[in-house]
Amino acid sequence: MSKDPQPSDKYGVQKDMEAIAALERDAELMLRVREGDDTSFALLLDRHRAPVVHFLYRMVQNDAVSEELAQEVFLRVYRSRATYEPTAKFTTWLFRIATHLALNWIRDGKREKGQESLSADVLDGVERQVPDKQLTVEQELVYEVKLKEVREAIGMLPEKQRAAVMMHKYEELEYSQIAKALNCSESAVKSLLFRAYETLRARLAHMA
Amino acid sequence: MDCLKNANSGAEILLDYCSGALDSARAAELERHIENCAECSRVVDAQRQLWSALDTWKTPVVSADFNARLYARIVEEKQAPRWRQWIRRITQPALPYALWKPAALATACAVMAVGFLVDVPRLTHPPAKGTTQVETQHVDIEQVANALEELDLLMPASPAPANPM
Repeated sequence: MSKDPQPSDKYGVQKDMEAIAALERDAELMLRVREGDDTSFALLLDRHRAPVVHFLYRMVQNDAVSEELAQEVFLRVYRSRATYEPTAKFTTWLFRIATHLALNWIRDGKREKGQESLSADVLDGVERQVPDKQLTVEQELVYEVKLKEVREAIGMLPEKQRAAVMMHKYEELEYSQIAKALNCSESAVKSLLFRAYETLRARLAHMA
Repeated sequence: MDCLKNANSGAEILLDYCSGALDSARAAELERHIENCAECSRVVDAQRQLWSALDTWKTPVVSADFNARLYARIVEEKQAPRWRQWIRRITQPALPYALWKPAALATACAVMAVGFLVDVPRLTHPPAKGTTQVETQHVDIEQVANALEELDLLMPASPAPANPM
């Protein structure tokens, strides 16, 4: 479990207020970008660069491609600054652009072109991902096997289910935000997530 | 609390509980239920294990030159001629256009134009059984006049009306 399943109410309210303040700040920064303030764009980039790159990395499972797509996301944000209206949360808009680009890339079959060698990429990724340098060789091998299985299980999910899981599990977006990013209803998102987790539970049951 | 498999929002409760998004009162209620329900306990354990397995997937660090490369592209785009900037805005929008709306409007206009401008030949259908068919024939006006005269000749001459005076 990445989070405490029973957050105290006080902690929850404080967290919600911080989240609301952050969302308002994003919209405010984007409105300043619209007025021509490039410093605000730099602040937005610093706040959202890592989540967008990580989301895209998990979607396309390729380091170089994920950065290239993330660059395209921010370029499109900057390009459409003049027409920006804060009708939805900034993160929802951002992830909608990212999801659209990722799904297009997957559908275009660029996966085969961009991924020269899956095994090389996995090893490269693992080398950069291992957080604890104190792992023994055996622990590292176990970690690599586990990671490979997780990546393969997620990679086998249908595109929309994969995107929904990435946004729900790793980016912690709300159902309504995921629905807007995927251009579907909230109930459809819940259904996508339930089916995806059910499939993953079955595929990764042996890891328990 | 009902079993997760029976509750309408069972799947949502399970996901929210395992992601820590369920409020504390409902989480406590679910935990009390899990203690006495083997089926729900099994599902929650499986989801927790999956959550833990997914946590093993860490992501690589973003390249140090990410911002520099992006700003270089922005500068390059700003220096491009106006027409190219517009073409990029149209061909690479932030979000895809909802193409079905103009497509539906264009289709409706095309159908109306066809309806107004094209003379569609009327189809003649055979009469349904049990109905009498009324045939209209093109009749010459002279033929009608002749027929009426002949009819007049055949009729007996009517007596002259009496003079009321």
